[in-house]
Amino acid sequence: MILLFVSLFSFSVNSNAKSITLGWAAWDPANALQELTKEFTAETGIEVNFEFVPWPNFADRMLNELNNKGKTFDLLIGDSQWIGAGAVYGHYVKLNDFFDKEGISMSDFSPATVYAYSTWPKGSKNYYALPAMGDALAWAYRKDWFDRPELKSEFKKKHGYDLGVPANWNQLHDMCKFFQGREIDGQKRYGAAINTERGSEGITMGVTAAMYAWGMEYENPNKPYDMEGYFNSPQAVEAVEFYRKLYEDCAPPGHSDAYMVANLDAYKSGQVAFQMNWYAFWPGVSKEDSDGRVSGFFANPKQNVAAATLGGQGISVVKYSDKQDLALEYIKWFARPDVQQKWWDLGGYSCHNDVLNSPSFPTSTVYAQGFLDSMGIVKDFWQEPTFVELMLPMQEAIHDYVVNGKGTAKEALDKIIAEWVEVFEADGKL
Amino acid sequence: MSVKKKFKGLSDKAVGWLFIGPTVLLLLAINIYPLIYAIKMSFTNFYANKIGREPQFVGLKNYIKVLNKEAIWEKMQVTASFMFWTLLLQAIIGLGLALLLNRKFKGNELLTTLIVLPMMLSPAVVGVFWTYLYNPQVGLFNYVVNFFYDLGSFDMIGSSTLAPWAIVIVDTWMWTPFTMLICLAGLRSVPNYLYEAAEVDRASKWQQFIYITLPSVLPFLLLALLFRGIENFKMFDMVVELTSGGPGSATELASINLKREAFEKWKTGYSSAFAVILFVTIFGFGNVYVKVMNKIKER
Repeated sequence: MILLFVSLFSFSVNSNAKSITLGWAAWDPANALQELTKEFTAETGIEVNFEFVPWPNFADRMLNELNNKGKTFDLLIGDSQWIGAGAVYGHYVKLNDFFDKEGISMSDFSPATVYAYSTWPKGSKNYYALPAMGDALAWAYRKDWFDRPELKSEFKKKHGYDLGVPANWNQLHDMCKFFQGREIDGQKRYGAAINTERGSEGITMGVTAAMYAWGMEYENPNKPYDMEGYFNSPQAVEAVEFYRKLYEDCAPPGHSDAYMVANLDAYKSGQVAFQMNWYAFWPGVSKEDSDGRVSGFFANPKQNVAAATLGGQGISVVKYSDKQDLALEYIKWFARPDVQQKWWDLGGYSCHNDVLNSPSFPTSTVYAQGFLDSMGIVKDFWQEPTFVELMLPMQEAIHDYVVNGKGTAKEALDKIIAEWVEVFEADGKL
Repeated sequence: MSVKKKFKGLSDKAVGWLFIGPTVLLLLAINIYPLIYAIKMSFTNFYANKIGREPQFVGLKNYIKVLNKEAIWEKMQVTASFMFWTLLLQAIIGLGLALLLNRKFKGNELLTTLIVLPMMLSPAVVGVFWTYLYNPQVGLFNYVVNFFYDLGSFDMIGSSTLAPWAIVIVDTWMWTPFTMLICLAGLRSVPNYLYEAAEVDRASKWQQFIYITLPSVLPFLLLALLFRGIENFKMFDMVVELTSGGPGSATELASINLKREAFEKWKTGYSSAFAVILFVTIFGFGNVYVKVMNKIKER
């Protein structure tokens, strides 16, 4: 009995010593990663425990953990905007020496993803994460409705051009409005499920998809943090006004606090013709449509310029982890081209050039070409260490204008700039 | 035996301290110390997420900033309006229900149990399922309203006019039973001979209500409203789940704003000042209220 107890105890100690915990958001790609990681455990004997946090609480949970120097996570797949805080406040391990030692080259990964997910200061050669999950905001549409001859001809008659993938945001609005309140197969349908969520980052991610396409810049390229006339430029104002018009004319009733899951639900339940969402969700949508008849996908439409809101994350080693060596072992494994290919095959969005540049990649899925197109035009929100302080006023002001209908777009943007100036001043940037 | 001997020499006062000591220590550790720490922080420019940055003393700057910020006053107005309507509705409906349940009729116990069910639920769960009830397309609430009066499609949560009412309705639905229970306890404590004497004096039912029932139940009702007032001043979970403070900031109560400033923006010094102001406000109101309540009781 004693021997049995001792052997069981030693097993448990050993298994603890050879295990790490990875934190990420609870969504489809996380399940794919869990599946992929079984191979890592088989190869190395290192158990990987996962803690997936629902999106609405993801930032709160993870950032609180980091700010409290928590040891819960050894590896963290954190949002692109966190990289500044991760580096400046010392939450993430700097990976340069490790990359050099293991021969992991950042030039093997898509430049846009390295810039967005790995570097701080932006564009420098200081790496705090390995690009793990490429992502951008894109659109899915009901191809089966678009293919109906009677709808096609009615649309063409009304607008003078074909019903199909919209070439710009005006066309997107025309199409969304065309479906708004329309009865199809005995059910009332609506135009588009767009981001309107108030609590975390939803409406900001949505409205910036329009603002980037109108050519908005956050700041004067020659004078950092000088936002007047850039963030509230006439183009930016027009884009915000347009987003409100899109919400008022085309969103389904009750879609006033909606983000990823709500958009997905509205689309899957057949309420809407379009949904705005992250590429991460397309494998799931596509899986339910094996012959590709129901859904089509396209990159964020251009207006004045081609641009898309960046999503996605890099994988970082948490500075407070006691098992950094095992965590680095995982990153070494994950960076391998063969693992990256499997990652894409399972529904993750690899950022590795070997995967993305493969001749078969654009046709490997119906959304692969769109993903490639998007990753070439992505723009991100501020990645400053103070990004949460910057995000919250934007959430409030934009929601107040778009959903609540309060004030004007210019007033909303001016209010955001005033709050941002305060944040940058407190941070010593201004 | 040795323990007995040990305590034998202790005075009553010492034994009393021995009993309340652990509680006092616990209160000091989890209530008083954080309060003093928060007051201390409120005079600094401390950011809890900026590791290595020493907080600097800034005097009353945070307090001035909070009190001069227009957005804070908007949040206070939203909170005041929420408190006013919820307390008013809960007082009227709670008292009405208590009067109803104070009568003897078949199924009284079952009805009482059913009425108190909402207050046994978690506020977060209530917030989540009311978002479904308020859904303009499939929500039961909209269906019922339209059944009685055709308003067409309306969005309780997405409209800045309706959203404040949406949270008032849910809070009233959830917490009226609490007011009702306390009022019911008050009603049941009124001696019957008072009504018998009133009957002999040929007092009408209305006069009995005004001169016997209401004065007897009023201290109970005021006590219930004090509890509800304090709770609603701190209201957070239900509203966050229901509206996230939106649309825009139409339902952003002071406590929601405080949480955002403290644990999302990590403006620890500033939010400590805001918390102290909120604490003083509710403490001051609470004291005045208790004094008024005691005067009513003495009458």
